[in-house]
Amino acid sequence: MRQEATAFAAAASPSQRRPGAAGWLLLSPLILWALAFVVAPAVIMLVYSFARRGTLGGVVYDFTLENYAGVLDPVYLRIVVRSLVYAGITTAICLAAGYPVAYLIGRASDRWRNLLLMAVMVPFWTSFLIRTYAWVTILKSEGVLNSLLLSLRLATEPLGLLYTPGAVVLGLVYTFLPFMILPIYASVEKLDAALIEAAQDLGAGPLRTFSRVIVPLTLPGIAAGVLLVFVPALGIYAVNDILGGGRVDMIGNIIENQFKGGARNWPFGAAFGTTLLVSFAVVYATVGRRQRAVPGAG
Amino acid sequence: MSRVAPLALRLLAALASLCAAVAPAAAEELDLFAWSEYVPQSVLDGFTKETGIQVNYESYASNEEMLAKLLSGAASYDLIQPSEYAVEALVKEKRLLPLDHAKLPNLKNIGPEYWGRPHDPKLEYSVPYMQGTVGIVVNTARVKEPITGYADVFQEKHRGRIVVVNDAREVTTWGIESLGLGPDGLTKANLDKVRPVLARWLPLVRVYDSDSPKTALLNGDVDLGIVWSGEAAFLIREQPGKFAWLLPKEGAHMYIDSFAIPKGARHVDAAHRFLDYILRPEVGAKVSKEFPYTNPNVAARELLSPAERANPASYPPGNPKLATFRDIGPLAADVDKLFTDLKARSGL
Repeated sequence: MRQEATAFAAAASPSQRRPGAAGWLLLSPLILWALAFVVAPAVIMLVYSFARRGTLGGVVYDFTLENYAGVLDPVYLRIVVRSLVYAGITTAICLAAGYPVAYLIGRASDRWRNLLLMAVMVPFWTSFLIRTYAWVTILKSEGVLNSLLLSLRLATEPLGLLYTPGAVVLGLVYTFLPFMILPIYASVEKLDAALIEAAQDLGAGPLRTFSRVIVPLTLPGIAAGVLLVFVPALGIYAVNDILGGGRVDMIGNIIENQFKGGARNWPFGAAFGTTLLVSFAVVYATVGRRQRAVPGAG
Repeated sequence: MSRVAPLALRLLAALASLCAAVAPAAAEELDLFAWSEYVPQSVLDGFTKETGIQVNYESYASNEEMLAKLLSGAASYDLIQPSEYAVEALVKEKRLLPLDHAKLPNLKNIGPEYWGRPHDPKLEYSVPYMQGTVGIVVNTARVKEPITGYADVFQEKHRGRIVVVNDAREVTTWGIESLGLGPDGLTKANLDKVRPVLARWLPLVRVYDSDSPKTALLNGDVDLGIVWSGEAAFLIREQPGKFAWLLPKEGAHMYIDSFAIPKGARHVDAAHRFLDYILRPEVGAKVSKEFPYTNPNVAARELLSPAERANPASYPPGNPKLATFRDIGPLAADVDKLFTDLKARSGL
């Protein structure tokens, strides 16, 4: 719990001790990596976003703001809102389903804890795309789930499960659940059992203990989990293409289409990407500030 | 830290030696940049065995993706595989090297209908590789009434039973064709006319899939599709009798995927050798067996089995005259926006 809290704090407040030459040397791979793969692409994206579309794709360096005006076009705003809704639902379900699991793992005995953590991580050993296509096999009309329902006589004809909003949300929750469980688990694991006992000794019931002691103490984990789920869920485009039948376009699809699709409009895609990046930064900073404001969280 | 730094140095040294090991192995190579799943491995192996030229096959999933990588200049390619409208755009922008026909004696195998096309009338820059059409595939076990065109597919009773390619320009062109404006009718003014047609059609669609539209049909999730002919040919071959194929009566068009040599190619001679190799009848037939599109190589068609030549999705009966797409330049962004908008409105 302290780790996340200090990570948020470190972003704003300069650290107490300056690193020495050895420290800088150790940091240099990270700094170089960040410059090459985070800062440089972001700068390129920023520059592109003010340029004009080239004939073949590509960009013509000719300053314009029309790409940002395009982002605010109702056509795309509708998709932004939809993405927010889908990402929000996904985050809520992941939190509701992930918190109890994380709590259980965090409070389990060492042997069980390792086993359960392993169970959360094992799916990562298989490619995310393969796992998503596996859901197609399960959900399709002549698929595993429908055959099961039919043979148990729970359904009289195959249900149209695939290519629905439900299938998209299912796929998103399935993909992102571990990203909710792991940070919350890290918070729960460091939770001091003595504090819970103290709350109970002072007359707090289970509900009160949970809401007044456990939740505030695991808040950094919850915040990290919410960010780790919400932000990528907003930008993903493969799950909704595969399980939604390409009907549920999200922000990621719009951006992809400007580069790899028929639109061939790189500057507009860059403007969309920049807008997204800035929004994320704002959300991150806001959550970070609220974290520091919560007493006892640091 | 004192233990970490040498480790990092050693890793760097290892990396450097790895690069060194990879770089000078330039015996003879060919950097091929082509559609994914479009050139059989056996053909590449056959070429390497005969010529000793190593083929590096990098793939893409759309013309736009190919253009994006080509323009970025991050890598140099000896052969690319653009569709006709991309050939036209690349020629216009002077991005292609002219072909040396003296090195391509097998070019004579290309059928007469592939010469004189507007994107490259004399095949100065491109060699047709495969040709496809876009048409309607019907699961005849589930759809009993006759289907003849787009209007028959997009009916209320077929709501939720349709797959179409996820391609703004294609779908918009179908609407244009259904209005009788022809495949070249894609203009800014006509976009307003086609809007209500698409607004009626798109809510009926269950799946948009350009990569493998056959999957939803095979899985039984949908019963009708407007898809690439190669996808339909595959369905007809795999499940004979179940699927029917037809070209929409409102008008159909075709696309021609060609090979071309981009400027900046490093192995121009090897590229010509590969082109002439692939133009051989027996090699062309091998390609056809794996990817049952229409083969522009008429000598290769002779070597196919009667069943393969009778597949209506590969070789439509009556050999209909089909138009090709032209480069529409910046209008592509408007078409994409229209499609995105209507999809979002009809969506979930």
